[in-house]
Amino acid sequence: MDKLVRTHLPRIAGLALASASFLAVTAAEAKEITIWCWDPNFNVAIMKEAGARYTKAHPDVTFNVVDFAKTDVEQKLQTGLASGTADALPNIVLIEDYGAQKYLQSFPGAFAPLSGTVDHSGFAPYKVELMTLEGQVYGMPFDSGVTGLYYRKDYLEQAGFKPDDMQNITWDRFIEIGQQVEAKTGKKMMGLDPNDAGIVRIMMQSAGQWYFDKEGKPNITGNPALKAALETVGKIMSANIYKPANGWSDWVGTFTSGDVASVVTGVWITGTVKAQPDQAGKWGVAPIPALSIEGATHASNLGGSSWYVLESSEEKAEAIDFLNEIYGKDIDFYQTILQERGAVGSLLAARGGAAYEAADRFFGGQKVWQNFSDWLAKVPAVNYGIFTNEADLAVTAQLPALTQGTPVDEVLKAIDAEISGQIQ
Amino acid sequence: MVLARRGGIGRYYDVNGWLFVAPALGLIALFMVYPILWSLWMSFQSGRGMMMKFAGFANIVRLWNDPVFIKALTNTMTYFVVQVPIMILLALVLASLLNNPRLVGRGLFRTAIFLPCVTSLVAYSVLFKGMFAPDGIVNSTLQAIGLIASPIPWLTHPFWAKTLVIIAITWRWTGYNMIFYLAAMQNIDRSIYEVARIDGVPAWARFTHITIPLLKPVILFTTVISTIGTLQLFDEVYNLTEGKGGPSNATLTLSLYIYNLTFRFMPNFGYAATVSYVIVVLVALLAVLQFYLARERDR
Repeated sequence: MDKLVRTHLPRIAGLALASASFLAVTAAEAKEITIWCWDPNFNVAIMKEAGARYTKAHPDVTFNVVDFAKTDVEQKLQTGLASGTADALPNIVLIEDYGAQKYLQSFPGAFAPLSGTVDHSGFAPYKVELMTLEGQVYGMPFDSGVTGLYYRKDYLEQAGFKPDDMQNITWDRFIEIGQQVEAKTGKKMMGLDPNDAGIVRIMMQSAGQWYFDKEGKPNITGNPALKAALETVGKIMSANIYKPANGWSDWVGTFTSGDVASVVTGVWITGTVKAQPDQAGKWGVAPIPALSIEGATHASNLGGSSWYVLESSEEKAEAIDFLNEIYGKDIDFYQTILQERGAVGSLLAARGGAAYEAADRFFGGQKVWQNFSDWLAKVPAVNYGIFTNEADLAVTAQLPALTQGTPVDEVLKAIDAEISGQIQ
Repeated sequence: MVLARRGGIGRYYDVNGWLFVAPALGLIALFMVYPILWSLWMSFQSGRGMMMKFAGFANIVRLWNDPVFIKALTNTMTYFVVQVPIMILLALVLASLLNNPRLVGRGLFRTAIFLPCVTSLVAYSVLFKGMFAPDGIVNSTLQAIGLIASPIPWLTHPFWAKTLVIIAITWRWTGYNMIFYLAAMQNIDRSIYEVARIDGVPAWARFTHITIPLLKPVILFTTVISTIGTLQLFDEVYNLTEGKGGPSNATLTLSLYIYNLTFRFMPNFGYAATVSYVIVVLVALLAVLQFYLARERDR
């Protein structure tokens, strides 16, 4: 028995090694780059376009763009990183800007620094800053989440409002309009998911504040913008001008089905809005309503994300080169994704040019890209910190209390208590 | 034979015997004992992601000051206290109804009630989500027959969301428990019931005084199993609320909180391990309590 093992083991091991290296050779020849992202009408479609462009120049590199729900991408990534094995992970992953620092700080060494290859000075500075850790820049900045008020011109017209009436309004005015829209057309003004604090974040950032201050400490009880945002959401709920939605796809359904008269969200929703050809010409875009407090603006940001390369992936070099070639340099690519998908990229050199000045027929000839580009310049910069997910859950947990008439100061205290327990 | 004559301590050191059980023991040690001990060690550590540091009892102190943990614990106990008794009683009643040999089509009924527990957890959660949507079939039916005036906010109101989770798990697991009771009831000697009938014992008393006492071991077993299942409740809540345990954390369970701490929030594996040990302790305490309550008093 012992002799048997001793004589055969080297041969078995040799065979195993040979087959392993054979597999490695075939893998190196194929060079498939796997990418995870989440919106089939937006970043998935854009990544396929980018892949097609790169394959044209480098026929040996192919792309496998995997499309899942955003929370699934984040959780699968976190599971893979925590397990410490790279087998289950892609080569490139899309991470929402709110979570970037969380991944960079809790999994040091998991992502490849791009500082050496990519010239980050050509990108919007706020995007570069949120992916920088200890002097290294880890990502390829992608889209901005500059916000807008998308509204159904046909419904508002029935209620007696012209596009001019939607420009630079306050949230209080928005609610008044919503009440009249419902009275005249029977449609709700907006879809609202009580488990998604996105609308609170939009309002809060539009007044230059966040859940955290510049040092990353919780900024809740003494935060006038958060207070005003919560009060506004409370008013929207008690005025009952919203259609309740449960979950993202349900919320998207509120406007794709034509059940609501407006949507306040990031510019990346444009592709989804335009995916309903029967609604062409019926939509308009205006700046988002402002809070009635000091420092309030009509510009904000929601989401926005960037591409990251996994340090341990076999095709790391190809992945970085691909991102640099397409996302770092290809101006024509940015014009295409803007026109086709509504992606407002963060490469500064790509802003301007024909695509930004084009009138969009879907929006009745409005120059929407010019508008978004103008608003983008006005978005107040804030520090997202590393605990936005936790803060968001604390806020959503308190939203129902708000509708039941609990004073906002008490709601803020409860949010503060919950966040303090969470961030350690 | 040498082996047969060898006695005393030598018997325990028989290498061949140990070799036979070694593969199984090795696997158990690797995949059961090692993770359990490692997670216990982890529960004394804290930190962000991979940056873990020894923290002593800091995680246990943190439990007391964490309103979300308290909320998750309260919710889990609410599910347990409300749902397990309802389900056990319902399963008992259904089992004794379907045990009636004169019932026509009882095979069909048994299958129908048992089927939910072989369906996919995810599939049925998604289905429930659709059925209980504001304009879903449940609300429109209730409105059509005039029971309610406006749709019940099943998924967006804290109370109704909890109710929905209880309805969902009851629907799924009642049939499973019922099968245990049916099997046990078929082992009860028919002559006992015959004697009781001759003595003029009414049907209800036969159920409470004959069936239930004779089913006691099975009831204890199903109660313990259901307790463990409810304390580990995860899938239904995750799928019904998109993993958030909303609205207002009203449906958040301990397992879902562990999941969030590990995969959704800034990952803190140490604290998540501490919360999972809370479940272990709770299950152990409740099982001991249930065995104590169900002990044979007259022995």
